[in-house]
Amino acid sequence: MSALTRVDLPLGQVLYHPGATSRHVYFPGSCMVSLVAVADRSSALEVGLVGREGMVGIPLALGIPTSPVRAMVQGAGSAMRMTAVRFARELKRNRPLLRALHRCAYIAMATAMQTAVCNKAHTLEARLARWLLMAGDRAASDTFRCTQESIALMIGVRRVGVTNAASGLQRRKLIRYSRGAMQILDRPGLLAVSCSCYEVIRTLERIDGMGLAA
Amino acid sequence: MSTASQTPKDNRLLAALPEQDYRALLPFLEPVALPLAMALYESGGVQGYVYFPTSGIVSLLYVLENGSSAEIAVTGCEGLVGIALFMGGETTPSRAVVQSAGRGYRIKAAALKEKFEAGGALQYLLLRFTQALITQMTQTAVCNRHHAVDQQLCRWLLLSLDRLPANDLVMTQELIANMLGVRREGVTEAAGKLQAAGLIKYSRGKITVLDRPRLAARVCECYAVVKQEYDRLLPADSQSFAH
Repeated sequence: MSALTRVDLPLGQVLYHPGATSRHVYFPGSCMVSLVAVADRSSALEVGLVGREGMVGIPLALGIPTSPVRAMVQGAGSAMRMTAVRFARELKRNRPLLRALHRCAYIAMATAMQTAVCNKAHTLEARLARWLLMAGDRAASDTFRCTQESIALMIGVRRVGVTNAASGLQRRKLIRYSRGAMQILDRPGLLAVSCSCYEVIRTLERIDGMGLAA
Repeated sequence: MSTASQTPKDNRLLAALPEQDYRALLPFLEPVALPLAMALYESGGVQGYVYFPTSGIVSLLYVLENGSSAEIAVTGCEGLVGIALFMGGETTPSRAVVQSAGRGYRIKAAALKEKFEAGGALQYLLLRFTQALITQMTQTAVCNRHHAVDQQLCRWLLLSLDRLPANDLVMTQELIANMLGVRREGVTEAAGKLQAAGLIKYSRGKITVLDRPRLAARVCECYAVVKQEYDRLLPADSQSFAH
């Protein structure tokens, strides 16, 4: 598909505003994109985190030109993108692609459900550990950049909550956080702190031939 | 419960199909009763059928392995239950339970999948419904996280009422607590507030909405976000769904 163009996406760039027409679909390479549901100016919640395992632009794969959620670059990096018009044309003639993307939409939906309940039922520390593991997977690295403000937004808490929980993880030498750089030091340790939602989401992604394919 | 007086066209997705597609689907549709508390799917189970409700409400609940659950969406005659099936999920991660008794039609998984794969109007409608459902789920997630229980209760009441012909809901506070994923006392308090304000009446498991406009004024914007997306994506209906 020569219609793919490489783009470098800086941290914080908004790819989709809720309700606005999506001009492109994005296939992340080294970048990481958060899908954020917005309740009002001050409240939001991450309902999906997309890296090289997935695609940003699920509504377009379902034939809908607008996104209900905000898509925001959570980890700077590269992605391949295609115009929405071209993408629609590809979908029409490429049935295996269409099926793979439906499957992708389904995984995104199941992830959103899991996240919804996780945020309600599990402790802040467990949720933070889940998010760090998910982010590490998508960054394909144990080191990635993120701010405490953005993590707070993602897991639906106040910043001070993230600061406290992160210090706890740091004291136990599970992570190191300094000047915007997050490093996972002890993955098994972090797994033990995380709620099982991390494994549930991973299993969903692994389940079929599409899975975490690049 | 008799299924004699219903027609598949009481379901808005089925009603919106072009006549030819509708006729092709008709032989595969089987009427079913949807009694209160019936589970259409269990979490992790394989789905044998897809359901098109013509009345009543089906709740999709997400269940964690410690048994706690929360409602992530409701579906009535505007949609269908079982999207995992045509979206390529082998099993459903959620539990689908009848929250308000009604009726509907079911179709065997394989039959629907075949028609869906053929593309055309059915696929188009089902994908649009999927997007509407995703919006409802994500908005529910953020609402449950950030908004007061009485606002969540307003949202839940309005979304439910949109799917029912009358202003009454038969519900226990315990069930509502399960739906909203909060403790029972939280629901009692929130329902008490709404009742004191004259918006609802709650007695013996029955909630009657007395003042819908004021309920709509009190609800958080999450309700409007979901409603607008449903109105925009799904076929309009002149009958039960419109308020």
